[in-house]
Amino acid sequence: MESNKRGWTTQWAGIAVLALFALLPLVKTSDYQLTVANNVLLWAVFAMSFNMLFGVTGMLSFGQALYFGFGAYSVGLFAYYQGTWWFLPALFLGMAGSGILALLIGPLVLRLTGVYFTMLTLAFAQLGWGIVVKWYDFTNGDDGIQGIMPPAALSNKVVYYYFCLVLVSVSVWFLWRISRSPFGLMLRCIRQNPSRVRFLGRRVKRNQLRIYVISAVFTALAGGLMAGVDNSVHTGMWYWTTSGEVILMSILGGMGQFFGPFVGAAIMILIEDMVGARTEFWSMVIGIVMLTMVILLPKGVVGELVQLKERLFKRSSALGV
Amino acid sequence: MQRNSWSVFLAVVVALAVLPSHVWAQEKVIKIGAIYPMTGRAGLYGMDSVAAMEMAMEEINAKGGVAGYKLDALSTDSKVKPDYSVRIAKRYIEEDKVHFLFGVVSSGVGLAVTEVSKQYKKIFIGTDHAATELTVDNFQPYYFRVSNNTFQSMAAGAIYLKELQAQKPWKRIAYIGPDYAYGHSQWNELRYCLDRLGVQYEVAGEHWPKLAQPDYTPFITTIMKDKPDILVSGFWGGDTVAFIKQAIPYGLLKNVLYFHPDAGGNYELMSSMGDELPDGLVLSARHHNNWPDTELNRKFVGDFFKRTGRYPSYAAEGAYAGVYAIAYAVEKVGNPDDADALVKALEGMKLKLPEDPEGFTSYMDPDTHQIVQMQAIGVTMPNADFPPAKKMLGNWKIYKAEDLLPPKEYIEMKRKK
Repeated sequence: MESNKRGWTTQWAGIAVLALFALLPLVKTSDYQLTVANNVLLWAVFAMSFNMLFGVTGMLSFGQALYFGFGAYSVGLFAYYQGTWWFLPALFLGMAGSGILALLIGPLVLRLTGVYFTMLTLAFAQLGWGIVVKWYDFTNGDDGIQGIMPPAALSNKVVYYYFCLVLVSVSVWFLWRISRSPFGLMLRCIRQNPSRVRFLGRRVKRNQLRIYVISAVFTALAGGLMAGVDNSVHTGMWYWTTSGEVILMSILGGMGQFFGPFVGAAIMILIEDMVGARTEFWSMVIGIVMLTMVILLPKGVVGELVQLKERLFKRSSALGV
Repeated sequence: MQRNSWSVFLAVVVALAVLPSHVWAQEKVIKIGAIYPMTGRAGLYGMDSVAAMEMAMEEINAKGGVAGYKLDALSTDSKVKPDYSVRIAKRYIEEDKVHFLFGVVSSGVGLAVTEVSKQYKKIFIGTDHAATELTVDNFQPYYFRVSNNTFQSMAAGAIYLKELQAQKPWKRIAYIGPDYAYGHSQWNELRYCLDRLGVQYEVAGEHWPKLAQPDYTPFITTIMKDKPDILVSGFWGGDTVAFIKQAIPYGLLKNVLYFHPDAGGNYELMSSMGDELPDGLVLSARHHNNWPDTELNRKFVGDFFKRTGRYPSYAAEGAYAGVYAIAYAVEKVGNPDDADALVKALEGMKLKLPEDPEGFTSYMDPDTHQIVQMQAIGVTMPNADFPPAKKMLGNWKIYKAEDLLPPKEYIEMKRKK
């Protein structure tokens, strides 16, 4: 009953946020705000799909940049070699390819748990980064690929923004449904007690692999759409720091909350943007914010707000996520 | 109530996103949007560039500005991240309404920013990144570079090696450089230039450490085993210092001629190695503090020292030149708003810069938008005029600017690709 109410609140909050994002093109004072909002949306999808592994299933993957880069480079390479017309097919091919890649890598990394799992995901991601950096003739190496334009119908900034918003909304809705489904419940059980799940006759690895693949597919979507925002892709998208950023976003926003990573992504990007515009000590500000969060608000922004609300209204804490 | 508290919080988050980050109210200002790394390993290049940029702007503003305009600049740390730099460039153009994009140390960032410049038709003045791609393969009309690219350095290097062969026959040549585009293009361009000059040589190994590699020992021992006559190096920044420091105990630099014509002669190397720097290394860079010995160069180096308390690395002169290039173009056109007229003006630019020796004036090549400059290659020798450095370059060999440009067929071949 309690959990259900929480579900409705979260759902309405999500709809309200997406509605606000939808209104942005009408109230914006410059196109730059669209770029920032688009960045927030795409990083949010990336962080939320990462959190399906981390916050929900308890698998700390340090290699999600592999799928982000894969999605971005699918779009980049197809647009570069085959032309703009391939932008959309490449976006979906990138998602499919990413899913297949996750299906191949998944069974290898899922053999291990805990920190070994984390290190192995990192190793595979760095392998991908290494290949992209070294394979000049095909990927342009460290120079990256420039001039990636969305097809004519999407070339208008506002149109592309709405295109991203629709895909992001669908993704968020889909992840939300997973999170609330029996499958989502199974994933949370796996996080809390994998042995018990096994005793109950359910397969831990198979469910972990499922969510690993799903997460990879949405991560690739975020990467592919990002290629259209920046009109360029570069090897940094594959690098471990990119994987690290979504971890920070999830912790900042609250990994125990469905919308935590979304809020975390928004805060990180806004801090980076506003502080970066005024001082080169942006990293110190992010550091102080992180430190404060970890020490004072260990549940993340959204987690703490939910708790505050519960304390104010004397409600008992619910299951979370 | 529940919904309300949620929506209020989220409204605040979104409202933050919507707020414009800068409000400008001045009139008659030429606004420059500078993008430089200000932190990390490349931070010194950025700090020197920004200091020199501000110095040039103050000089021009003190004389009353250009065509009734004062110069003003914004500067943001690029973090050497292309995606973040793209966002900075878009912010500069859409929110801050800058007239020029400016700067960039990393060629990877440069390539991403030139794409923004092309889309928005805003002139991008490249001051320090050297990859030839920007003026050849990825050329676009709103991009101009005011410092030498790797092709020019390597062309000068190839002539130097050819002359050297006549005096002291050498045959075996090895290369070590960072394993990314900047490192690879130097080696390709050097071999292209050597072949074009008809120099006979034998490659005795190519070595590709990664950027900022902490330990070069395995490379050093392999090079010693291969016994090349000449070791060409394509490092930049801290990597040069680290490699030379590690090579000294092995005696590598005694047996092999260390040859580093693009970024090796950066003052950063001299200042951080002091007495330890071996004599006889053959180096060059895009600007030298002790060459040419002209009034303009002495003044530039002296003023920079007065301003910052340190002597400039080569990045500084690029930024200084960039500001003067902007002033030149706005002076010609009369306003900073007509980008196409500014492009025309820059294409015909002739500008006397600190790195121009007597009798030569830097000029813009209208086909590639690459500045055409002379290149001097020197040899390390004792010279304590620029402390903390104890050694500086000397025994200069000077190469004519026209001999260093990529030939037409090279440009066509690259642009076709």
